[in-house]
Parts: sequence; structure tokens; C-alpha cells
Amino acid sequence: MATLKEIKVRIHAVKSTQKITKAMKMVAAAKLRRAQERITSARPYALKLNELLTQLLSTTDKIVNPLMEKRVGGNVLVVLVTADRGLCGSFNTNLIKAAATHLQSLGSSAQLICIGKKGFDIFKNRDVNLVESYTGVFNNLNIDLSNEIVNRIVKGYLNREYDRVEIIYNEFKSVMKQIVKIEQFLPLVRKEKSKDEKSKKLDYIYEPDVESILNDIIPKQLNIQLWKSMLESNAAEQGARMTAMEMASKNASDLIKELDLLYNRARQEAITKEILEIVSGAEALKES
Amino acid sequence: MEKLLDLEIVSPTAKVFSGKIKTIIAPGSLGGFQVLFNHAPLVSTLNVGKLKLVDENDKEKLYAISGGILEVNNNKVSVLAETIETPEELNIERIKAAIARYEDILHRKEEGTDPEQIRLLLKLEYNRLSLLNKLGLN
Repeated sequence: MATLKEIKVRIHAVKSTQKITKAMKMVAAAKLRRAQERITSARPYALKLNELLTQLLSTTDKIVNPLMEKRVGGNVLVVLVTADRGLCGSFNTNLIKAAATHLQSLGSSAQLICIGKKGFDIFKNRDVNLVESYTGVFNNLNIDLSNEIVNRIVKGYLNREYDRVEIIYNEFKSVMKQIVKIEQFLPLVRKEKSKDEKSKKLDYIYEPDVESILNDIIPKQLNIQLWKSMLESNAAEQGARMTAMEMASKNASDLIKELDLLYNRARQEAITKEILEIVSGAEALKES
Repeated sequence: MEKLLDLEIVSPTAKVFSGKIKTIIAPGSLGGFQVLFNHAPLVSTLNVGKLKLVDENDKEKLYAISGGILEVNNNKVSVLAETIETPEELNIERIKAAIARYEDILHRKEEGTDPEQIRLLLKLEYNRLSLLNKLGLN
């Protein structure tokens, strides 16, 4: 049986852990709100750009940009977006598991770029083709860096280092739920248009011309696609952390309750023992 | 009825402007152009330059834009800007410092830098500076 003091120390330890988890939960909640705001502010741009792109592509069947061209080669680059930090439940674990399985299915020629420290930590020691990694990205999430990564990916693609690029990231569904997503990044995904969309095609003036505009738009589309994935991942991470810390705080509460009970029982036992000792001492004195 | 256009300016990080305007003047890649009421449908790429609009209260607004795309359709104008700033957001000290730094890099041909890239960045900073100069805010 643990002594009173031991139990007291444990209660204290659990309480201070709970303080930390509670604080982390609040921080995650605040960061989540910011992350969601960022997603919301990126949305109108992404929507409009996509609309324009679809419309421009519907005017021409030619492949005007090498980034649109489907290649026969099977070399795939996987871009994995994980978090920089842990303590967010199964956020990273699920993602890394999915990435590992996916990489395996692609064979040994597959290459990998890691965004986020957690993915890098795992894959640097594994037998994979890690060509580049970006860590410490999410602390100060910044669109310039995202664009830089896109430039790096596009450059390698144009140099034919790989024939297809895929992004794996966690999509933010709700605070409780993240979905591991595997999305094609390059070549550009061409959406099939419905018939009525085609019929409402307008006679636009294109300045300078469709091809130049497409060449201008496509890199922008890629930039926003990666940026959006990173924002989604960031929001999902904060959501996952919030939930995980909520659970941890709850577990700590349960533990404290249990320990309190134990403490009280031990205290009572000690008091009973003491009284018994006094009483029996008094009895002994009376008899003598 | 007043002849107004709906305008929306968006960038990847923010919705910059949304409202009714009388006209907009944009730095098109084939030269600057102005959009007035009942302009024909148009899609144009934009250069680095100044975007000027006149809102419904006849107030002028100026922005420094680093390129983008402008679409006009049925009196709705959408501007997709790469980056866009109002004069209030710009800091003259920062711009001057950035210009000096980039000039220095170009001058010394610093290793590991792409001169094309630096020249582009320099162009953006000069654009911002000229916007402030125009407004006499420097």
C-alpha cells in the first residue's frame, strides 16, 4: 500500500500534467481558428482560378503546356505533408502509414519529398528515395515557401526526374475527423466538363491569347493547390491536437479522482490505526 | 440607373476588395487598359504595376499588384492577384531596405542566387516605391 505522501506526490504530478494538456488544448483551439480563417480566405481565389482554368481548357484541346501532358513513364514523386510536432493523436501515424503503403505499391523508383518534420523523422531512416525535405514549416506558415516548394517540384518534373507527382495530406473534415487524401498534382488534372457547361461558353476576348494565359494560370493553379493542401493539413493538425489534448485532460481528471479516493482511504486507515493504538494504550494503562 | 460594375479582388491569402465600382484601370500584359460599364467579356493577364479603381462614391483607390489575371463578364470584374497591397500596407523604410539589399546582391553576384529572380523581386519593390511616390507619401 502506497504511503500518504507517495499518493500526494502522484496527485500533484497528474495535476500539473493536466494543466499542460489544458493549456495545449487552448493553444490548439486558437491556432485552429486562425487556420480555418486562412482556408476561408484562400477559397475565393482558388474557386475563381479553377473556374477560369476549366473555361480556358474548354476552348482548346491542344496541350499547350508540358505540365498538362500525360507521360507514360512510371516514376512517381510523392509529396507527403505531415505536421512538425507530435502530441496530436493519430494524425501523423495514420498519414505515415498510408504513405508507406502507397510508396511500397509504387515500387522502388518512387521518390519522396517531406513537408513537416514528423514525416522526415520517420522516412530519413527508412529505405526510401528522400529527395528533399522541408521542416519547421507550420510554425510560420507562409505562401512564399509553398510557392518555392512548387517551383522545386515543377523543375524536377520538367527535367523528367519523375513522370507523375502526388500529394498525400490530411484533409480537415471536422475537429474530430481528418481524412488522409492522395491527390494527383502533376500532370495537371483535367476535369471533364458537363455538356451544359460547354454550351454556355462565351465569346471572350483573350489577351494576349489563350495559350499565354494558360501558361500563366497553370503555375498559379499548382501554387494554390499545394498551399491549400498545406492549409488543410495545418487545420487538421490543430483539430487533432485539440481533440487529443481534450482526451488527455479528461483522463487526467479521472486519474485524479481515483487517486483522491485512494488518498482518502489511506488517510482514514491511518487515523483508525492511530485511534486503535491510543485506545489500546489507554486500556493497558487502566488494567495496570 | 447608375452604371456600376461589380468588382472582386482576391489573392491567395485574402479577399482584398468586394463591391461596386465605376471603373478600373489595370496594367494588362499588352498595355494598360480601362474597364467601363458594358465592357465585352475579357480575360487578360496582368503585369507588375498599379491597379486603379474608382468606387461608387467617386473615390479613387490605388493598389500595387505583382501580376495576376483579370476577367470581365457581364459587368462583373474579377481580379486574381498574385500579391496586392494598398499604400497603407506599404512601409517605405522596408521597401528602400529591400531595394538596397537586392541591388547589392545583383552587384556582388552573390552565389546561390538567381539573378532573374532577384531582378523580378526588385521590380516588385520599385513598383511599390513608385506607388508611394505617386501619392507623395514618401
